[in-house]
Amino acid sequence: MIPLMQNAAVYQNGWLTSSQFGAAIALGQITPGPVAISATFIGYKVAGIGGALVATAAIFAPSLLCMYLLEKFYLKVRGKELTNAIMHGVLPVVAAIILTAAISLGKESMHSVWQIAVIAGVAGLAISRKVSYGVLVAGAMTVGVFMAFVGR
Amino acid sequence: MGMEHPRKDKGQGQMEIPLLSCTESAPALWQIVRTWLKIGTIGFGGGYAVLDLIHSELVIKHKWISEQRYENMTALSEMGPGAFTVNLLAAIAYRLGGVTAMIAATIALILPSFLIIVALAGVFLVWEKNLVVESAVKGLTAGVVGLLIAVVWDMVKRIPGHWCCFSVGIAALLLGLFFPVNPIWLVLMGALAGAARVLVPERYGKKSVQGGRNL
Repeated sequence: MIPLMQNAAVYQNGWLTSSQFGAAIALGQITPGPVAISATFIGYKVAGIGGALVATAAIFAPSLLCMYLLEKFYLKVRGKELTNAIMHGVLPVVAAIILTAAISLGKESMHSVWQIAVIAGVAGLAISRKVSYGVLVAGAMTVGVFMAFVGR
Repeated sequence: MGMEHPRKDKGQGQMEIPLLSCTESAPALWQIVRTWLKIGTIGFGGGYAVLDLIHSELVIKHKWISEQRYENMTALSEMGPGAFTVNLLAAIAYRLGGVTAMIAATIALILPSFLIIVALAGVFLVWEKNLVVESAVKGLTAGVVGLLIAVVWDMVKRIPGHWCCFSVGIAALLLGLFFPVNPIWLVLMGALAGAARVLVPERYGKKSVQGGRNL
């Protein structure tokens, strides 16, 4: 999901800079709802409140439609060997795409050494599953604010 | 209108809908909206972090769906596109009250986040050049990169231990890094490779799929 949004908003249309996109994702993480709400931020950046409304509707409408269809037809595809095999083929690709997004986001918006420490720290804590995502994002932001006063 | 859930009677307010079984009962629309609004307001973290909250609200507290059905729906939602939580809650709302409930509940779910993010976006875009905000964004971006790495790690652990799955992943990574490929094509490539892994051996030789030397 995130790589698709990055591709569309940053590379194809140039609506946001990489660091603005990072902020959009981070805000999506700290708000209570799903991360896809980041699209609202992008919509707002491009076209104000109207853009935010359109972007929000557009990002969630396919979910609703597909869940409706899946609900209707799920029993037919469920557990089929082919469905599983396709999911197994897609999973590594999705992992690779997310990694690509992480690398390009990191490459374009890393300007300080302490950011690398934040990346390592957040990744480690998130993998250990001891700290919730919201807390990690808030912590990363706090470190940033702290470094604004200490760093210069 | 015509797609309203059959369980719903015309006289809404007077009597609650009759219980169909002791574990599953159909709630009124306002009950659904209120609960979804609650999940949308306190469900910090998104994704799998909220599963626990959803489970305790819908299965344990309100008993709107059974444990078994909840698990089926979780598996189903992982197949859908977009946000997993939204898919799951949309599917449950559809089961509870048809298309109307699905749309109303989803709006209720997203509304709190929508308001927060529009407010924050306004603040952020005005103060973007401020030194403190700029530095906070640097921290946020680094945090997001860290989270993405953790997500990838989780997925890699779930990839079946099969050389073809790993080579598809590595191929996708190299393509994505060095060529401006639209991610959708990469996903299709993965789906084709996965399908080929089952279909090809089926046609030639009927070897066991788990053997893995085919493709």
